[in-house]
Amino acid sequence: MDISWMDRIELFRYALAAALCASVVCPLIGVFLFVRRTSFYGITLPQFATAGVVFGFALLPWWVAHVGLGGLDLDTALSDSHAAMNYHFMWAGAFTFGGLITLVLLGRRGGSEIGRVAAAFAIANAATYLFGRVSPVGKSLVDELLQGEILGVGQHEFETLATVLGVVLVVVIFFHRDFLIASFDRDGARVLGQRVIVFEALLTTITGLTIAVGTMTLGPTLVFGLLVLPPLAARTYARSMMSFYFAASAIGVVSTLLGIVASFELDLPLGAAIVGVAGLMLVPGLVVSRFAQRA
Amino acid sequence: MAPLLVLRNASFGYSNRATIAGVDLTVDAGAFLGIVGENGSGKTTLLRGILGLLAPLAGTVERGTHAIGYVPQRESLDPLYPLRADEVVHMGAYGRLRGWRGLSRADRELARSCLARVGLAERATATFSSLSGGQRQRVLIARALMVNPELLVLDEPTSGVDRAAEVHILELLRALSREEKRAVLLVSHHLRLVRETVDEVLLVADGRVERGSASSMLHDELIERSGSAGSNPLTRA
Repeated sequence: MDISWMDRIELFRYALAAALCASVVCPLIGVFLFVRRTSFYGITLPQFATAGVVFGFALLPWWVAHVGLGGLDLDTALSDSHAAMNYHFMWAGAFTFGGLITLVLLGRRGGSEIGRVAAAFAIANAATYLFGRVSPVGKSLVDELLQGEILGVGQHEFETLATVLGVVLVVVIFFHRDFLIASFDRDGARVLGQRVIVFEALLTTITGLTIAVGTMTLGPTLVFGLLVLPPLAARTYARSMMSFYFAASAIGVVSTLLGIVASFELDLPLGAAIVGVAGLMLVPGLVVSRFAQRA
Repeated sequence: MAPLLVLRNASFGYSNRATIAGVDLTVDAGAFLGIVGENGSGKTTLLRGILGLLAPLAGTVERGTHAIGYVPQRESLDPLYPLRADEVVHMGAYGRLRGWRGLSRADRELARSCLARVGLAERATATFSSLSGGQRQRVLIARALMVNPELLVLDEPTSGVDRAAEVHILELLRALSREEKRAVLLVSHHLRLVRETVDEVLLVADGRVERGSASSMLHDELIERSGSAGSNPLTRA
């Protein structure tokens, strides 16, 4: 049966709207990860969030039996992830912030940042599969989360995502100067009287929130794709910080719109299709910088 | 006129272990001081103590309400940021911005005049990372001037810049000290350059800080021993 474009948009409106919200906000967070040379966090932390969601599923039978889930029985909680959304969000958040805080604390001891983050990714990745193995919904859940098929996003998930990302966007607009100077020149910011630790904690918090709620709703593939690729593509064209923010978000939105078209036309998983297009967005920048180097 | 900075028997260090101790120092308006010492002697520790980035382990540091302008080492700033020169200068105003408030017209005008003061008005929209070492240093001095500082603290301002840029930066600092009566505190390992530029020197060695005139503290033997090369381009000009 051939479904018209309008029908698809109507049918998957929450998934499409959620992807568009993420395409605006994730690249802005990604800009700060990029300039702070912590882009690897953008890959590792969604993996922590995924491990958290899968861990939540593994623990669900015990939790329903001993703690309770607002009157939900186990079958309902397992078959309808929307019903147990706050529960899953709790575990995604706990793992994301746990991973983030551990990385920040270990980072203060010095040593190889890349090695530390790579090790954390390996551990979180293995944990995802191990928790998936013992979870009552098993391997299919892990596969679904990882492949980035997001069309099942419902109204409640979209509303949660939109609310959290809306708050994150307001915080970024409100404090982008403070985040910038605290990142660019920490000592200089302190001499100017900036509360650097407060702003670093706030940036860490909104990064963790974006990743936790984004991964839980849209899966790690789309979240780390939007955190890493649009800022990387935008950096080639940016001639000021302001243009960097706008270009990263614009590339995120364009990638999402083209990814939606590609997904519908070629029957591809939506999240992976968006990330694929965002990857292609790197090509013009690579060509431009290649010519610029020769000139 | 009250001094801008007073350190009384101050000790600074890390993990409760003093790197330098017993520092007594008074900095008055218009003073031009160089902080010198071997690598690892505690110059940066003293600088961080003066700036308030490091709390004293003992003694007191009085800064009053005097505005301090800080010029960090250029190499400490990551070129990955696509910042324009004027965006870097605008950061000097961030300390007084609150909430939604963006830069005012007066702040932007001040930034333009600070860039003009360091001779870079025409490079305002150039990306910071595309500027030469000397130009980037002058942008950072312009940023420090945004707070209208009575005390200007610079960490190795002429490190890694060419001779012409050295001349420009030192002439600028001398003018800020002598004409505008701003106190300038300059960290450098370039002893000959410091001797021929500043009025007084703080020599950091063996955990102590000794103050004296540049000519008496930095005698030829000390300079030869330290292996400090080069001469002051200002005196050759």
